[in-house]
Amino acid sequence: MKNELYNKLVDMYAGHELSAELEDEMEMAAASNPALNHDMTTLRRVVDTLKTLDEPDFTDESYHRILMRLYARAGDIQPQTPAPTHFQYHLPLQG
Amino acid sequence: MPNDALRDSLAEKRWLTALAQGDPSALGGLYEMYGERIFRYTYRMLGNRTDAEDATAETFLRVLRRSAELRADGAFRTWLFRIARNLCIDKMRQHKLMELPSDAHYSGAEERATLRVTVQQALSDLPIEYREPLVLCDLEDMAAREAAEVLKISVPALKSRLYRGRKALRDKLGGTLERTS
Repeated sequence: MKNELYNKLVDMYAGHELSAELEDEMEMAAASNPALNHDMTTLRRVVDTLKTLDEPDFTDESYHRILMRLYARAGDIQPQTPAPTHFQYHLPLQG
Repeated sequence: MPNDALRDSLAEKRWLTALAQGDPSALGGLYEMYGERIFRYTYRMLGNRTDAEDATAETFLRVLRRSAELRADGAFRTWLFRIARNLCIDKMRQHKLMELPSDAHYSGAEERATLRVTVQQALSDLPIEYREPLVLCDLEDMAAREAAEVLKISVPALKSRLYRGRKALRDKLGGTLERTS
């Protein structure tokens, strides 16, 4: 039970889910407890790192490739932004 | 409810109603609303663009196939993520896609790009039951209750996996985080 509560508090601290008051209390407790201090700081660093990682780039090419697949399989779906030129057919000019 | 959320909720309701009435063009509207989020989620789960595009397209096609069951009751987004999740798991089982993506586009300063590669690799090495809560809660910023619904587990179980996942990721990353902090 004690372990469960410990884990819960440390995890909430790591995820910035505690109130400022409880966070201060945790930090004060951690000042005299190296193991707690280590868990709190390293787990918070993991969460902060994950939250600041760049997002995968949803490029125009990906957007249109997926849309074209939907269009091919489902029909009648119109893109709401124009397709990039390299996705468009160009008919040879006559004359 | 903030204006944006209300507008999205009304738009979602409109597209779902249209789709349930047999209008396939409504799928385009839902794709506009959720395509990017589903793509990001599948990319993070699968680790490469081609598979993420496949899984995203298939997610929306499944919505179309099951459009008769659709209800505009606010649970659509959770259901959509659940479909995407099942597709990701199927793909991972088929291909054992645990390596770094060969086509990943890492932008930004060199140090950040290196960190991203390292974290992506460490995430990919985690057991799926730890990786899923980290992707949903810490990367996609999904609330614990919704993430638990997507994963079909209780909120306490989700929190427990999240805690263990964060610890496992910390142990895998070792000194990397200290060097970059």
